[in-house]
Amino acid sequence: MDEIGKIKTESVASVKDGHDAQKGMYMTFLSGNECYGLKIQYVNEIIGFQDITPVPETENYIMGLINLRGKIIPVIDVHIRFNREPFEYNDRTCIIVVDVKSTLVGLIVEKIAEVVEIQDENILPPPSISRVDRSQNKYVYGIGKVGDSVKLLLDPERLLNDEEQLVVEQANELMVDGE
Amino acid sequence: MADEFNTEGMLDMYLFENEQLLEQLQEMVLEQKDADCFDEDSINEIFRTMHTIKGSSGIMMFDNITAISHKLEDVFYFLRESHPENVPHLELVEHVLEVEDFISGEMEKIKSGLGTDGDPKELIEGLDQFLNKIQGNENASEAKGLPGNVHEEPKQFYIAPVASSASRFYKINVIFFPETEMANVHAYKVVYALKEIAEDILYSPEDIIADESSAQTIIEKGFRILLQAQASEEEIRNIIGVGYDIDKVEIYECLAEEFLQGFEFGQGQTSIDLVSSVEEIEAKNAVAAEEKKEDKIAPGDFVIKPKEPGKPKKLAKDKAKSDKATFISVNVSKMDMLMDLIGELVISESVVMQNPDLKVPGLDLTNFNKAATQMAKISTDLQNVIMSMRMVPLTNTFQKMNRIVFDVSRKLGKDINFEMVGENTEVDKNIIEHISDPLMHLVRNAVDHGIETDEERLASGKKEKGKVTLSAKTEAGKVWISVTDNGKGLEREKILAKARKQGLLEDGKPDSAYTDKEVYQFITLPGFSTNEQVTEYSGRGVGMDVVVQNIQAIGGLLEIESTPGEGSTMNLKIPLTLAIVDGVVLETGTSSFVVETGLVKEFVSVREDMMIHEPSGDEFVMLRGECFPVLRLGDWYGLKDYKRSVEDGMMVVLELDGKTICMFVDKLVGKQEIVVKPIPSYIKKIKGLSGCTQLGDGSIALILDPSGFIE
Repeated sequence: MDEIGKIKTESVASVKDGHDAQKGMYMTFLSGNECYGLKIQYVNEIIGFQDITPVPETENYIMGLINLRGKIIPVIDVHIRFNREPFEYNDRTCIIVVDVKSTLVGLIVEKIAEVVEIQDENILPPPSISRVDRSQNKYVYGIGKVGDSVKLLLDPERLLNDEEQLVVEQANELMVDGE
Repeated sequence: MADEFNTEGMLDMYLFENEQLLEQLQEMVLEQKDADCFDEDSINEIFRTMHTIKGSSGIMMFDNITAISHKLEDVFYFLRESHPENVPHLELVEHVLEVEDFISGEMEKIKSGLGTDGDPKELIEGLDQFLNKIQGNENASEAKGLPGNVHEEPKQFYIAPVASSASRFYKINVIFFPETEMANVHAYKVVYALKEIAEDILYSPEDIIADESSAQTIIEKGFRILLQAQASEEEIRNIIGVGYDIDKVEIYECLAEEFLQGFEFGQGQTSIDLVSSVEEIEAKNAVAAEEKKEDKIAPGDFVIKPKEPGKPKKLAKDKAKSDKATFISVNVSKMDMLMDLIGELVISESVVMQNPDLKVPGLDLTNFNKAATQMAKISTDLQNVIMSMRMVPLTNTFQKMNRIVFDVSRKLGKDINFEMVGENTEVDKNIIEHISDPLMHLVRNAVDHGIETDEERLASGKKEKGKVTLSAKTEAGKVWISVTDNGKGLEREKILAKARKQGLLEDGKPDSAYTDKEVYQFITLPGFSTNEQVTEYSGRGVGMDVVVQNIQAIGGLLEIESTPGEGSTMNLKIPLTLAIVDGVVLETGTSSFVVETGLVKEFVSVREDMMIHEPSGDEFVMLRGECFPVLRLGDWYGLKDYKRSVEDGMMVVLELDGKTICMFVDKLVGKQEIVVKPIPSYIKKIKGLSGCTQLGDGSIALILDPSGFIE
């Protein structure tokens, strides 16, 4: 038994090593005037814009389904998710395919920027001066400084899930922890 | 990812193999549960299975599994060697099943990353008692047939590799100096040395380690060994060696027949029957072996129960064995990947075939078309093959249910027949995984609540035995699985009363206003159980709601039928999912939809004067004197740019569950075989949509499930 346990921890460790190379790397993209960052571990791939099949009766930010080499995945419009006006899709529009807890989802963004490295010490918690503004900040878990510019770092889990759902999930987790 | 697979490959293999072994074991045991005893083949098979599990668990250091399988191996070793009579067969079956449960349970723990902490002590004690019992039965007359350390021996004999034709057979007699002390230990050393080269070995006296008195015999009569090996006489002599203790080594080469006859001098002893382990020799010398067996039946001795000759079961079994050899197991995710890729291949094929570049006038495409047809044929075949690869018969799942009926009915003291119909129905692998649990609940319910106790049955004048039928069939692209019992049926009044108590009934609505179907649906609600007492198996009110949830999760349905006093039937209607569905592709607005061909009754173009508009906004259409409700797909889903006038579009007449509706769409695109894919779980369930698929051009169409339109 012990050996198996050891093997397991080793394999976990090796996975961690793999992540270490990506640690602090962020994929940044533009949406509106802001520059957002996503931890690179979440990013599976970036594809050009393609035809989206709309699905009726869904949240307004879920634009529909795309065919990713035989896999059908949902895509959401980050712009609309942030409660902004919809934007015209053009040839700069990209879809970032993210993998959050084994769920593949495409994020439609206006423009891909670059991959940057942001050290933990350069990440600040989001300012929460006004409580009214809180709802807009709920997807941003930190602000990363790169030189003079700042990147809003997104929590993809919060981005994908409804807040209510998240609350339920957290409550469940708490209950599980409590046991 | 790949790393994970590699490092845990051994564990995966262990789990996989043992799971299969246990499954086979259970199947075999249940197959013979109603017989008087296991036939010889099964005894050997169970023995071997336990031996394998013991061995591999030992390597993986799962001590409790090793211990328990070891114990069961002992029991079957005894059965195999001594053929005792009057073995309480049902008790034995239970023991085997208990052990199987224990090991399965431990393996589940291993799978979820926990340690194997189960304590097999009780089971082992039970087996010990059982073993003592049957040994007591048997050995009253026979002198210590098998010594206590019996389990040491199978290890030695079973590791022996299969004999090859190059093997030679020797009779060896080792004579020790008379003054040698503990000759038995020295003899063991010889055996140990010979084991290196032995393909098979037996010796007399047998129990040299445990029985110290054997030392005396060895000194007096010499230590006799029968050896099967590829070595020459000289080599053997070298291996045994002549030391300070060994006086003389006599080696005679002999024939296989003689070898099989064992020690001529061993009659007073129980010699170990090696026939079953040296199958090849057995085949070669079937006659000799037969004679030998007859020799063995001395008066007052045990009687060998030969397998009934000409039993059809044997034939079937042989066949199954040869089939098994052709199976390989493949990771499901690889299959899925292959599946996706083939889907893509088909699509890119059509992209090539319908490439606009080919539409240039004046091109001679004769050869191209020939090649294209050939390719289309191959890709269709490919698609069919991968589909059939995913299909698995329900046999295993049904077998598990057999087990449950057996367990529960015995514990509850009910005499129940279990019948399986259509267990060969093939269902997608994914589906099988999902229906196992719900089915288990249903079967358990049928046995526990459904069927009355024997006394109750007698009182209500039911002559026939309690019976649970599990049946499966495919119909209209769905699998129907039903669990039927001939028990007391559901009690409408009881359910209604309980529902009222729980506040589930609408105020002011009389009981009679609820249809039977509605009433029966109550039992699928969480926390609803009409069983007054909580038993080990059911009555806690958990179960039916879980069943319904699980079935719904794979897009299935549960229907309950029941006749008071005559029994009830639970019908599961489950999609075949990944199976290819024949679909009609429709277009409305800018969206494409697919509807299963089987549901479409007809397509009709209607004129405005056939329409009936109700003030409430509902629309109907008159077709051949009948009036059908109309559903405008564009309206239903709030699509853009769809056709408003009925004369521009097309009515699709759909029929399901005896109801007919007309769905209005813009236009028909065509008929196509489609691969059903689930809508990603990220998007919440939408009424009327059951999945999505890719069309020939790679675009996505949504699959309509008209039952969502009918409330």
